[in-house]
Amino acid sequence: MGFLESVALYNFLRGPMVWITFIIFIVGSIYRIYTLINLAKKEKVVLPFINIKAAIKSWLHWLIPFASRNWRLKPYFTTFTFLFHTGIVFVPIFLYAHNALWYESWGISWWTLSETVADVWSIFVIIGCLFFIGRRIFDPTVRFVTSYSDFVFVFICLFTFLTGFLAHYQWILPYRAMLNLHIMFGEIMLIAIPLTRLTHMYYFFFTRAWMASQTAIWKIKDW
Amino acid sequence: MAIKLEISEEKEVYRSSYFPEYVRPKIYDPGLDETIKRLTPEKIEKAYQAVFGKETARIKAIVETCIHCGLCAEACQWYLSNDRDPTYAPVAKVKMTAWELMKRKGKVDAGLVYDIARIVFTECNICHRCSLYCPFGLDITFIIGLVRRFCFLLGVVPQRMFDQNQTFMATANQVWMSQSDYIDTLFWREEEGMYELKNLRIPMDKEGVEVVWFPLAAEPKTGPYHIDRIAKIFQVAGVDWTMVTMNDYWDSSNMPMFIRDFFTMQRIVKGLYENAARLRAKKLVLTE
Ligand code: HEM
Ligand code: HEM
Ligand code: SF4
Ligand code: SF4
Repeated sequence: MGFLESVALYNFLRGPMVWITFIIFIVGSIYRIYTLINLAKKEKVVLPFINIKAAIKSWLHWLIPFASRNWRLKPYFTTFTFLFHTGIVFVPIFLYAHNALWYESWGISWWTLSETVADVWSIFVIIGCLFFIGRRIFDPTVRFVTSYSDFVFVFICLFTFLTGFLAHYQWILPYRAMLNLHIMFGEIMLIAIPLTRLTHMYYFFFTRAWMASQTAIWKIKDW
Repeated sequence: MAIKLEISEEKEVYRSSYFPEYVRPKIYDPGLDETIKRLTPEKIEKAYQAVFGKETARIKAIVETCIHCGLCAEACQWYLSNDRDPTYAPVAKVKMTAWELMKRKGKVDAGLVYDIARIVFTECNICHRCSLYCPFGLDITFIIGLVRRFCFLLGVVPQRMFDQNQTFMATANQVWMSQSDYIDTLFWREEEGMYELKNLRIPMDKEGVEVVWFPLAAEPKTGPYHIDRIAKIFQVAGVDWTMVTMNDYWDSSNMPMFIRDFFTMQRIVKGLYENAARLRAKKLVLTE
């Protein structure tokens, strides 16, 4: 416990590790997007068939809860995945505590969420993670295609939000220990985004663009 | 006696040695059972390299995006009509075929090739519905098509599909119909149709038309009345149209596409387009 609470660990995580994290996150993300587009250029039948208008329509269609047929078929899943994803993207950006850190280091700050909103939203994300884990264990269809890495992704998200939340309320572990854990998980998550299937955050837009362009050619909607 | 039969039927199941969940009735199909005996690890790896060896954007995007959420399952008629058996879900089919091959870099034995061929040829219709249910719009059908290509290169294809492909290689249609037989059928249908619509014509190889109609070969062969029905519709609608009889390229079904025999598939498509171009037709109409 001593080490977890130590100022040395905190300094490391808040110092060099933050730099390493953001460099891997940003450079890695650009690299992943760049290599995919580059490969697509070599495959003669991909880029000429991309229909930007259809792609934009498709992104909006699938990013609106309950707009597509499959979102409507799975109301619980849809509710949780949208609470989870909006939370995981917007909460860290607009969190007061994170903003304070940006302000401390760079002197910049922006609009922030109220404490209640941030708390409730974080709880939704945590429940969403538990729901995903439950599905992977109890739904035989999902269980059959689940690999360990799928659990790892959900647990990374779960622990990041759980430890952030617990640190804020200073429950269970001493504040400094919980905060160190939180920062560690947050950094693991950011690093994992370009290195693992969490890249879906970017690839979502490419794969949808491809299928939307196909369905535009067939003159059907993409459900 | 009857009871005995039932029991022996129950025992006749096939269980994959790679995926214990994959349990199916035992069947005998020489296109699968006999052809896998000819495989060697080198042949399998070579076929794998030919299809999956080069990294391409589409394979990469699909494999590195799929989050294994199982949402595509709801789309698949195989999944729905088999009591939601997990092994019929689209993503499960990709898992048991392409992922397994890629995980082992093509170093697999003939048993897996059997499972793979059975899955991609007999448990997926290449209908694309799963792509419309996947939140990422992943092109699962494209992956299934690649795996079919892998099986085709190894010659492991269900007998009936392979047979049909050979029919196309020999006659360019799927029912062994000769050119003279085809022409004869069209004349016959014209005559039949005339009893119902006066002056009915089935134009052949007419140049400069608006529409050229390529039927499925099953129409002249087993549903010949289709021909005069369509002819009546064209004639009453006042469409300037024609059928093609000048060579063997008139069947639009192109079954070689389904087993990914690219050579024969291209020959058919090229034949159809060249015929339409020769007649300077503005539109192609195909039966589906
Ligand atoms: C470089 C990495 C990060 C650092 C240094 C960091 C730092 C912090 C700090 C100092 C707190 C405040 C605890 C308090 O209120 O006393 C916090 C809370 C929180 N952080 Fe992070 N964080 C990081 C990454 C992330 C990431 C990637 C996420 C999520 C995607 C995240 C989600 C949260 C949440 C949900 C809370 C708690 C909100 C609440 O209920 O009050 N953090 N973080
Ligand atoms: C704009 C950004 C993003 C988009 C469009 C997106 C889209 C999706 C979609 C369509 C799914 C599949 C099914 C579902 O809805 O759960 C999914 C699943 C998932 N996403 Fe994202 N995502 C994004 C960002 C992120 C981020 C930043 C993370 C975490 C680091 C994340 C973690 C996950 C996880 C863990 C799952 C799997 C859920 C399960 O277990 O079923 N996503 N995402
Ligand atoms: S393409 Fe194949 S896997 Fe996908 S829904 Fe159709 S039959 Fe099922
Ligand atoms: S719905 Fe799409 S992302 Fe989910 S398991 Fe199926 S193919 Fe993969």
